[in-house]
Amino acid sequence: MFAQFFGGYLFNHKLCTAEDLTQAFEAKKHTRLRLGVLAINAGLMTAEQVEHVNITQQSVDKRFGDLAVELGYVTADDVEKLLVQQPTDYLLLGQTLVNNGALTNAEFEKALKDYKAENQITDDISDNQTETLHNLINEFYHFDNDENARICTDYVTLLFKNLIRFIGDDFTPMEASVIKNFAAEHIVIQKINGKYNAEACIATDSKTYMAFAERFAKESFTEVDDFVNATAGEFLNVNDGLFVVNESNEHGVELTLTPQKFLENGELALSGTAFCIPVNYPFGKLNFIIAT
Amino acid sequence: MNINEMTVLICDDSMFARKKLSMSISGFGVKAVYEAADGEEAVSKYKEFKPDVVFMDIIMPKVTGIEALKQIIAEDPDAKVIMASSVGTQSHLKDALKSGAVDFLQKPIADNDALKVLENVAKGVL
Repeated sequence: MFAQFFGGYLFNHKLCTAEDLTQAFEAKKHTRLRLGVLAINAGLMTAEQVEHVNITQQSVDKRFGDLAVELGYVTADDVEKLLVQQPTDYLLLGQTLVNNGALTNAEFEKALKDYKAENQITDDISDNQTETLHNLINEFYHFDNDENARICTDYVTLLFKNLIRFIGDDFTPMEASVIKNFAAEHIVIQKINGKYNAEACIATDSKTYMAFAERFAKESFTEVDDFVNATAGEFLNVNDGLFVVNESNEHGVELTLTPQKFLENGELALSGTAFCIPVNYPFGKLNFIIAT
Repeated sequence: MNINEMTVLICDDSMFARKKLSMSISGFGVKAVYEAADGEEAVSKYKEFKPDVVFMDIIMPKVTGIEALKQIIAEDPDAKVIMASSVGTQSHLKDALKSGAVDFLQKPIADNDALKVLENVAKGVL
């Protein structure tokens, strides 16, 4: 999920366009992580040094690692360590954007450094991934100002995990906004009741709604009908159900769900604080709304 | 009992969830699959078809899955009702087992889990 938020970071800082990200998410499946990118990530080489090795490679038939050692930028030990590293998803995204010409190595180096510093991401993210992710989401959406920050952060973390699991990882999270109402061609609503009350919704246009349902059902649809509604509704229900289970298991908070409601060309009026969390997929923009 | 002799009732208000589970279960070669879209219909279809296994959602309009489960158990204390719900919390689990459910599956239901339930009912384990 770090790749999606790195994409969101690059977009928000106007370092690349939504189209660049869509292309990069598709292309990154075939991207092999280069040693230079790993060296930049580890802080062992600068973008300028990587460029120098790349340019030198054009006239000398040597591998990147051997040349970087020869030029004195890294040691043979450094290269060994870098080579055994697992490819990290956000680095793959960054490298793909560089490969596609959307970012220069220098822009990538700076963005990577800033992104990691702002979100306290270290290279051993696997050790404390949940906590890092939690902080990243809280920071990205500025939930901190809301009294229900913990609930919103947990909900959104789970939502993104389920988007990756059931819909696909080729999305970019966009900046959230606080809303009072929301109009859309299609809205699915589910209430979460119990120790506290919340409302979770998916809102989007017909084309995106159908494409979203197609990915979840792994079927093709030609029009929005009851089955498409049921499919989108079931995604929300599965996500909200898992949220309710987590709340019970991890926080001792007992909650229950109501059957989903579907609005067509409707407007949602929300009470309390409601965050709209837009997510860009290649097939369109989905708006997830969480009101507490 | 063999799986190919079994009849199964799927109760879920989501047309999508019913279709998905029905396709999986039909693929296992059961004799018949019936569907109900709410708790009220679930009780009436149970009385009509007396299925060997029932997969029951909890969050449903009109009559909830737990209420439908109670009515089915009152009708047939040996009914094999498996709760198949997105809300698998300890309290829902306790409610379901106390009301006579024989098992609980958290949504989304993996094909293997549904098959295991049918095999256990067939072996008389559930």
